[in-house]
Amino acid sequence: MNYSTKVYEDIEVVKTTTINSAYTGAKSPVEVLEILDRLGYETYVTKEGDLWVKYWQIGAEDFVSPEQVAVIRSIRPSLERVDELDWLSKNLQNIRGRYSDQWVAVYSNEIIAAASNLPDLMSQIGGFDRPLITFIPAEPVVWTFTYAS
Amino acid sequence: MLVKNFEQVVRFYEARQDSNGPSIWLPLVDVTLITPANSRVSLSLLFDTGASFTTLRADLYPILGLQSWDQGIRVESCTAGGPTIVYRYIYTLEIFGKTIIDCPIHLSSQLPQNPLFVGLLGRDTVFNEFGFGFWESTHELYNTTNP
Repeated sequence: MNYSTKVYEDIEVVKTTTINSAYTGAKSPVEVLEILDRLGYETYVTKEGDLWVKYWQIGAEDFVSPEQVAVIRSIRPSLERVDELDWLSKNLQNIRGRYSDQWVAVYSNEIIAAASNLPDLMSQIGGFDRPLITFIPAEPVVWTFTYAS
Repeated sequence: MLVKNFEQVVRFYEARQDSNGPSIWLPLVDVTLITPANSRVSLSLLFDTGASFTTLRADLYPILGLQSWDQGIRVESCTAGGPTIVYRYIYTLEIFGKTIIDCPIHLSSQLPQNPLFVGLLGRDTVFNEFGFGFWESTHELYNTTNP
């Protein structure tokens, strides 16, 4: 298999897996478009009612050594991330009401997945880069602590 | 006068027990864990100069690719409530843009359940890479990646 063939096949895999598994949590088409806008995707709706999204992303695994990662990232900052933790803290009461006793994954200010156990949660978030993972306890949270056993 | 320079400011996060309750401010750090499956997940850890090692809740073991939380190196660790047993593992973390390879991580069954953090960011290996300034009155953690 030559190199160009391998690249072509990998792109085909992305087309058939990542896009099909994309999950927005939106409750209406308008909400979907708003989320895509926030994520920086260019979109338009055709007169037939289809949604087209201008999207591409090509990755190269092991592009730099682990030792070089910090150097490269310091001179070429990554795309700015949404502060999921800030969103979680500000919406905690609502989230606790809805996702009590569950593991949740937060991405771009949305709960993108929830599950009663961690393996189930992980199986739902494979297409997302660095989702925030946390557990929403059912019991009242004690906010002051020493770590007694 | 002693002068230290920092490049980053990490704001504390505000939590409220209820809508009318007082604010609690937590120094939380977003840490990226590189899983054995080579995916990356973000974990919120409480900045804790009192923790010798970075410590995660025991029930996070599936993310680490483990079959159980207690299959690592058994270590006795002191807590405010007395000694407890934790289990040590080695993983790669990304913190403040730096990659920390071969970082010891303890799993503990004694950490409290809290929706805003799943563990403690402790000193060993991690703190050597940074310099910190702690500003409680303004709810800010200052950080340099060139200590």
